[in-house]
Amino acid sequence: MTTQILNFEDVKLYYDHVYALKGVSLHINEGETVALIGANGAGKSSILRVITGLNSLTEGQIYYQGQRLDGASPDEIVKKGIVMVPEGRRVFPFLSVKDNLMMGAFSRTDKAGIKQTLEKVLVRFPRLKERYYQSAGTLSGGEQQMLVIGRALMAKPKLLLLDEPSLGIAPKLVQDIARSIVEINRDEKVSVLLVEQNSRMALSISHRAYAMATGSIALSGLSAELLEDDRVKKLYLGG
Amino acid sequence: MEQVLTNGVYLGAQYALIALGLTLIFALMNVLNFAHGQMYVLGGFVTYTVYGQFEMPFVVAILASAVTLAIVGALVEKFLFRPVLKNSEREESSMLLAAGLAFFLDAVILLLFGEKQRGVPKIIDGVMNWDFLIIIPYDRILIGVLAITFIVTFILFMQYSKPGRAMRALAQDKVAAQLMGVNVTRYSMLGFALGAMLAGIAGGLLVSIVGVNSGIGGPISIKAFMMVMIGGAGVISGAIAGGFILGMLESIGLTVLVAYGDMTYLLIFVSLMIFLSIRPQGLMGKPWG
Repeated sequence: MTTQILNFEDVKLYYDHVYALKGVSLHINEGETVALIGANGAGKSSILRVITGLNSLTEGQIYYQGQRLDGASPDEIVKKGIVMVPEGRRVFPFLSVKDNLMMGAFSRTDKAGIKQTLEKVLVRFPRLKERYYQSAGTLSGGEQQMLVIGRALMAKPKLLLLDEPSLGIAPKLVQDIARSIVEINRDEKVSVLLVEQNSRMALSISHRAYAMATGSIALSGLSAELLEDDRVKKLYLGG
Repeated sequence: MEQVLTNGVYLGAQYALIALGLTLIFALMNVLNFAHGQMYVLGGFVTYTVYGQFEMPFVVAILASAVTLAIVGALVEKFLFRPVLKNSEREESSMLLAAGLAFFLDAVILLLFGEKQRGVPKIIDGVMNWDFLIIIPYDRILIGVLAITFIVTFILFMQYSKPGRAMRALAQDKVAAQLMGVNVTRYSMLGFALGAMLAGIAGGLLVSIVGVNSGIGGPISIKAFMMVMIGGAGVISGAIAGGFILGMLESIGLTVLVAYGDMTYLLIFVSLMIFLSIRPQGLMGKPWG
């Protein structure tokens, strides 16, 4: 039997004088990669903002591992094991790569464990090891994306939220990053919620997907099936 | 020449200590704390009371200044700046609050400690005379060394401790820091307390040399702002550079320009205006703030 790690029940978010989410229900199973696709302004980022506690929802409930999640503060949510990689990378530009990674482990206190995770992250992204003492602001876009994913892994998440990891990254590197996401999900048993405008990439590396339009879920299903779905092809994959 | 440089370094260390607190609060919260000079004065009066009046050891007095101002800073953040920053989207609100706080602290200090210039007994007697090239009283050397020690400790704390790293991260990207699990509320309070504490320590150290009176808060704030503007707002290295540059300029000015009357600060202000029109972000500041 599959257990759900995250569950949205009719979540509404009123934000900036409009309903950014008009009643969204969705779930993520333990160990799953779920993609959330849709155009700009469809409400994908709002979903991430209510999960991480950056916005408080207006109506509805969110459950995480069976416990009520909404109402907790962002730092409490990180401690529970939900970590987000924000859109646009957002490294700490004047901190070294090392300090950026250590910031990822901010919510942890087990020194030996942190060291172990750090070694694992540096094996996964060897480029970060080469640039270990460099300021993060001097890294290329692709390297910064690796850094923010590595930084999130330092928190040892149970649920990893990725906001547009392919945005502004060279096509060759998009493949590398897609491969890392698959490996992280498979090897570390981390559940993943992947928000992407690059729908083809998102559908090809996820188990299930939700397609959003103007604040609600328009379609959902197995990613492999959605890739073949005519409506999805037309609306989200560009013909 | 050697004398001028020595005075410059001594003054610069004091100034840098003052500027550090101001720039820390600005970097973390985007608040221009116009009451920084008043916090310095309060620190001076605490040391005056503990060391000068109660005749306890100087170290204890400095510690008392540090703790008092840390508490004042924390309370000011929690009960004044936090609600204002939460409820107002306009930057002027926090500026007005800081200006109001400066007047309020001025009045409180006047009420508690009176309007007289206060000094304390020398912490050590004697003057070092190095071949008539450098003549400097021992107590100034001690205060200079203490100021530099506090600066170095602060830098090490910011650079290598976990809370220090979190504060630097917070200053660079508040949302990203929040997403790493940094409790923004708690760290803003910690930062404000730390900034106020640095002002208090500087006030406590300097009361043993120049004394303190209730009217110098405003001028000290202005000097602190000048240093931060020279170095670049919100940057630690900038505050230190600004402090030492201003200290050096003042020391040189007082020696070279003495024959022409008291025009040191006139020239410093003019050069600062020209400098800022060419490089508004200061020496090490980021152009976007």
